[in-house]
Amino acid sequence: MAFFSNFNWRKKQGLVEGGHSMASEEESTVKEPLDLIRLSLDERIYVKLRSDRELRGKLHAYDQHLNMILGDVEEIITTVEIDDETYEEIVRTTKRTVPFLFVRGDGVILVSPPLRTA
Amino acid sequence: MSTGGGEKGSGGGGSVKTPADFLKSIRGRPVVVKLNSGVDYRGILACLDGYMNIAMEQTEEYVNGQLKNKYGDAFIRGNNVLYISTSKRTLAEGA
Repeated sequence: MAFFSNFNWRKKQGLVEGGHSMASEEESTVKEPLDLIRLSLDERIYVKLRSDRELRGKLHAYDQHLNMILGDVEEIITTVEIDDETYEEIVRTTKRTVPFLFVRGDGVILVSPPLRTA
Repeated sequence: MSTGGGEKGSGGGGSVKTPADFLKSIRGRPVVVKLNSGVDYRGILACLDGYMNIAMEQTEEYVNGQLKNKYGDAFIRGNNVLYISTSKRTLAEGA
């Protein structure tokens, strides 16, 4: 994995706090949102991206920018076409699978454990 | 013009002075988070940081006012957040 040695991957190590320090007097270990993502390392997650894209894959690594390395990923691209004559909205989804994927953090909207809605 | 990204919550925190104080005071409360894209997320705020990255529980996603998705836990990247507002949301769904 020498290729990734330049990035700030944090694999189950203590995180440097991003942004202003949120430590208050009453708590010595303030949990940051990034700390909670750390709990999802090596777990499958759901990622919502800009441009109506979604990913489901196994989180191998991430950093404070939300750059992520995902394994065994399924990408779903959702498009809405509007028929010229009937003006109905046709929702299409395109899927593809990628064995190993680097996600640039600025496209990430939301990260969550996989949805369990039926 | 208001500075920072939040409003004063109703029902507590009467001495909120700065946006940072507001952010410290709203943990554990039901909140509404609106994104730049217009999508709404309602849930219980677990924690947040100075970049407005948000971690929430029992999150519901509303698009155009319609409930679209439910997430047990959700992390939202701060650059997408338009505002964080407290709400008097009652928890209708069971655990």
